[in-house]
Amino acid sequence: MAADAAEPVASGPETRPARRRGGVLGARLGWTGLSLLGFGLVWATLAALIGSDELPGPVAVWEALLVQIRTDGYLGHLGATLARVAAAFGLAMVLGSALGLALGRSAALDRAFGGWLTLFLNLPALVTIILCYVWFGLTEAAALAAVAVNKIPNVAATLREGARALSRDLDEMAEVHRLSRLDRLRHVVLPQLAPFFAVAARNGLALVWKIVLVVELLGRPNGVGFQLHSYFQLFDVATILAYAFGFILVVQAIELLILEPWERRATRWRR
Amino acid sequence: MSGGLSVAIREKRFAGGPPVLGEIAFDLAPGERAALIGPSGIGKSTLIGMIAGLDRDFEGEIRTPPGRVAMVFQTPRLLPWRTLAENVAIVCGDPRRARALLGEVGLADAAHLHPERVSLGMQRRAALARALAVDPVAILLDEPLVSLDPASAEAMRGLLDAAFERTGALGLIATHDRREALVLADRVLEFGGRPARLVSDRRSPLSRAERRERGAVEALHADWFGA
Repeated sequence: MAADAAEPVASGPETRPARRRGGVLGARLGWTGLSLLGFGLVWATLAALIGSDELPGPVAVWEALLVQIRTDGYLGHLGATLARVAAAFGLAMVLGSALGLALGRSAALDRAFGGWLTLFLNLPALVTIILCYVWFGLTEAAALAAVAVNKIPNVAATLREGARALSRDLDEMAEVHRLSRLDRLRHVVLPQLAPFFAVAARNGLALVWKIVLVVELLGRPNGVGFQLHSYFQLFDVATILAYAFGFILVVQAIELLILEPWERRATRWRR
Repeated sequence: MSGGLSVAIREKRFAGGPPVLGEIAFDLAPGERAALIGPSGIGKSTLIGMIAGLDRDFEGEIRTPPGRVAMVFQTPRLLPWRTLAENVAIVCGDPRRARALLGEVGLADAAHLHPERVSLGMQRRAALARALAVDPVAILLDEPLVSLDPASAEAMRGLLDAAFERTGALGLIATHDRREALVLADRVLEFGGRPARLVSDRRSPLSRAERRERGAVEALHADWFGA
């Protein structure tokens, strides 16, 4: 019909993102690989020049890694840390989101508890950890609580912004069309909050990783943090680096394989 | 009046402010199409929102016909993260019917696209399809043709006519454009003053067929509003 001639339907854009996605990821991995190879060369050269146990080269670290896997349960420690990260992260995301959404939706709640949020946002992680261990003992629950409490205020602050930014226009649209509560949540509210969830998850994960190690170092009998502490006492730098690299690898894998694809999916509709 | 829209407002004001709407009373018969005209900012959208049930904070009474009241907002208010087809299907719960409705407004080929990838005219048409998806007995439209280029506005006008013909719904169309009112409506209600009241309520002498002729509309415009 005439109107269609005046406004041609954009053709093609549906297929473009798929192509671009694969290409971008490939190119990025290629450049990242080259860059890391450069790092390895610099490191190996430095280690060879210095020739001390305090800066072992890549080969020494690799050997330490193999020894750890064979004799000291490397994968078990990594797994224990990973499990703590997952539990604390999940706990913090759920509680922090609920809190943030409540504060963002209700001005009265925000007035009453906004100050608490600022307080907890600025409470040093180490203080929370020590207090949790003192009050609840050197237990797994205390460790997870300590990490979650450190993270909850960040998630809450981010999601509070998300709740405040919810569109009144779309709310009215849902009202006029009498969408069910479930449909409103699925189609109207959650898609608006998705970018805020993504930011909270990304920042949150970075924070949780670091705090979990401290929690393990101070009061757990296993995990990467515990191992770092043990090998620090032995001044075994090669093993410490072996744990650090395993850690980096896992974090990057989660970032590339879980977080990024999810973010791309959530923002697919953007122009 | 039974089966129609009945508006009897004594006063509407926003918290703490001066009254926006004064005493306003009118009835629309089933199937009647009225335009609500007046300068921008006078309270047309406020009244439309009240009739749609979005704003219940006023003195007076509004009775809507039994059945669903649909609304087409001035901005299309489509969900940007859903395709046009999904936007309509969310309301009617049936993807096939959603496609049929999009076909009705000439968007069959664009049903799989996201709103930000299509023009404003197409978004408006999708919003109209979404309004039709509730099987309305009354359709409220807020500035349905504003900021469209002439070709898109003409297409939208034709689609509105067709939608009203098919559904037999009564219509209330808020617009600041008097010519647009004369083209679209059987009856023209005019807002004026502050707080706004009805300053005139005129029935168009033109038939629905005559309103499609530019000359007839121009002549009526000159007659009613002067040159």
